[in-house]
Amino acid sequence: MPASSPISTAPVTRPFLRRYLFSTDHKMIGRQYFFLSLAAVLVGALLSLLMRIHLAWPHAKVPFVGEIKPENYLAFLTMHGTLMVFFVLSTVPQNGFGTFFLPLQLGASDMAFPRLNMAGFWTTLISFLILLLAFFVPGGASLAGWTQYAPLSALANAGPGQGVGTDLWLVSIGLFCLSSVLSAVNFITTTLKQRAPGMGFMRMPLTCWAWFVTAILSLLAFSVLTAAVIMLLMDRNAGTSFFVPGGLMVSGKAVVDHTGGSPLLWQHLFWFFGHPEVYIAVLPGMGVTSHLLSVFARKPVFGYKAMVGATIAIGALGFMVWGHHMFASGMDPYAGFAFSTLTTAIAVPSAIKTFNWVATLYGGRIRFTTPLLFSAGFVSLFITGGLTGPLLAQPALDVYLHDTYFVVAHFHLIMAMAGLFAVFAATYFWFPKMFGRMMNERLGRLHFWITLFGSYAIFMPMHLLGIAGHPRRYSDLTGVQYVTAMAPLQRFITLAAIVTIAGQAIFLVNLFWSMFRGTVAGANPWECTTLEWTLPSPAPAQGFSDHKPTVAHGPYEYSIPGAEQDFLMQDG
Amino acid sequence: MPVVGDHAEIERRPKLGGGGPGKIPRRRGYGGGDDGDHDQPSEFYGRKQRLRTYHVGVALCIVCVTIVFIVLTVAYVFRQGMGRYDQTHARWIHDWKPLALPYLQLLINSLVLVLSSITLETARRSMAQKTEFAAMGIVPPRLKTDFPWLGMTVLLGFAFLAGQLVVWNNLRSQGVFLHSNPSSSFFYMFTGLHAVHLAGGLIVLLYAACGSWMRRSRFESQRIAVEVTGWYWHFMGLLWFGIFALLHFAKG
Repeated sequence: MPASSPISTAPVTRPFLRRYLFSTDHKMIGRQYFFLSLAAVLVGALLSLLMRIHLAWPHAKVPFVGEIKPENYLAFLTMHGTLMVFFVLSTVPQNGFGTFFLPLQLGASDMAFPRLNMAGFWTTLISFLILLLAFFVPGGASLAGWTQYAPLSALANAGPGQGVGTDLWLVSIGLFCLSSVLSAVNFITTTLKQRAPGMGFMRMPLTCWAWFVTAILSLLAFSVLTAAVIMLLMDRNAGTSFFVPGGLMVSGKAVVDHTGGSPLLWQHLFWFFGHPEVYIAVLPGMGVTSHLLSVFARKPVFGYKAMVGATIAIGALGFMVWGHHMFASGMDPYAGFAFSTLTTAIAVPSAIKTFNWVATLYGGRIRFTTPLLFSAGFVSLFITGGLTGPLLAQPALDVYLHDTYFVVAHFHLIMAMAGLFAVFAATYFWFPKMFGRMMNERLGRLHFWITLFGSYAIFMPMHLLGIAGHPRRYSDLTGVQYVTAMAPLQRFITLAAIVTIAGQAIFLVNLFWSMFRGTVAGANPWECTTLEWTLPSPAPAQGFSDHKPTVAHGPYEYSIPGAEQDFLMQDG
Repeated sequence: MPVVGDHAEIERRPKLGGGGPGKIPRRRGYGGGDDGDHDQPSEFYGRKQRLRTYHVGVALCIVCVTIVFIVLTVAYVFRQGMGRYDQTHARWIHDWKPLALPYLQLLINSLVLVLSSITLETARRSMAQKTEFAAMGIVPPRLKTDFPWLGMTVLLGFAFLAGQLVVWNNLRSQGVFLHSNPSSSFFYMFTGLHAVHLAGGLIVLLYAACGSWMRRSRFESQRIAVEVTGWYWHFMGLLWFGIFALLHFAKG
């Protein structure tokens, strides 16, 4: 950073409410999203713990809940999936870190539409509260899973949580779609119009590329879900029959007030959103991983252009493969073949990325910090979870493995765990810029090893359960003989889950302790090149609004031969 | 001494920065930044830049709305060809009943919408003129500028919504309700969602129209509101004709 840059460190004084609650500052909104997701992940993890306990000991009495009945189990399942997919994996990597760091890395003074940004956060918060409200209404939360397959989700008398609980779910997700679309508009406009002078597209950090492509995916995918959710709400409350088939029997009674629609239509619309959604969750994580591996290997990222191309290719292919979620729903074999081929094709850009990550590390002077460990963990989990992807993409094999624990293992490893590792990496890495202090390294490393071994201990055995034919989504299969034989493995998974979730307490303690007691961080503690590190830590409220940086270098100029410093700032 | 090796060393110097050209030529409009190399006064430049940013935003919103209606159209075509399974006779039956559209009222509504697009465009032009005159320090001539084009547009927008209500009432009096037939469900969904989106644009226009009477000082933000809503409003008109064409030509 040139010493002459006029950065004023005097805080911008705004009244309390404008500063902390109704702030239009992207840095405050980013932090708000971060804490919203933290709340959501705690609830979601608690629900998974309850489910795991129930699976290991079906008749155990859990404190505050009592014995878990089948409808409770399904409600926990639905809420766990919804919270984790929408309010954690789609929220914190994109809207949390993205809102905070996209403008800073691009050298912009704020997002393109700051008030829209604030509206997006408040819509997300309201939708989060509406979702949680479903636990406290008569009948409880919805039972239909995060995919809300019709007709189960379309008929109020189909189950205990299918009344008000499902309506609340749909309203909540409708609002979430709205807020996601609003923030996607903001992200794309910011990337297109607010870059600092000299910040060409090929000089953007890979994190920004990932946020940009993810925003495009969000924009297209969430619009589809919005339309589908509106149609389902109409089916439930206005008597239309878009998704309810004719001649349906529920609990022995014929459904007479619906004229006949198609549950398959819901599946198509849902998965046309749902598959891009997977990439919405994991692409920002890929960006963070690429960025961090380069920073801590002290090497330029290997194949920058290939990384950008792979990001775009994954995004584009992500829209053409939704059918692989529906092989078991019945499908023309030719369509199945097309979906299968396209799905397998995603392995190509994914392999390019994986190769480039490993090649970035190769021969680097690696600094083994906690963020690096978590990024490497991301690569590990991405490979492990990814390898089962091409298997599940084969229609013949998928019909057998569909709705077994094999699928649970696959998507938890590649989407949930890998995504979460990227979030952890980003938290440890950007914590100094967000809160002005460093997180504790020793606790961080302990947290990493517990989480890494824990994730594998939980999800690797699930592959075996799936191959042996253990179906998912059932609350209790005690009477079924071949499943009973797998009870010891289920119990092992539950123990691993308890240990892993308990291990996250280390992270929480580290987070809150470091926020107030950690070592005070300098402007650039990790010796990075990107623009956010030219600002003091924590990033002051005015950001780049009183001086605009001019970018002269690429984002990954490390280990420059013959230079006195081993890195070159982008504006230097 | 390996002399050749030295050459190779120079040839293989690693390229810096992990991709991307080392030197990017500076040009205007790079990421919207103020490069400082333009001749126009910076206030004017910033205003243009701001308007362009808003245009990108509204274009993206238009993409979203388009997708919502594409989804409905796909469902419409899909449902039309599907029919339903009749259990008593154990066969598939074609249950789609084509809707008798109230054409006269729909055509009047279309005309109102076209007129509103024209008045909005006139309003936009007169506001742009005013801004340019103001930038040159000239008091604008009071010819076109004082006719309340914006107010006209708002009135026509409300007239269109009222006209749609008449259409719905008309159908309801014939016993065609939301749940009567798949065709009527789709008709109400299409027209209803279009009306909701149009109402959103109407709110922004209402803000601009009322603002121009209440607070003269915020002329700039009103102008942006009109410019941006202009795109959205014309898109709503096009969308309406798309829906109308679909409902007419693909009746089933």
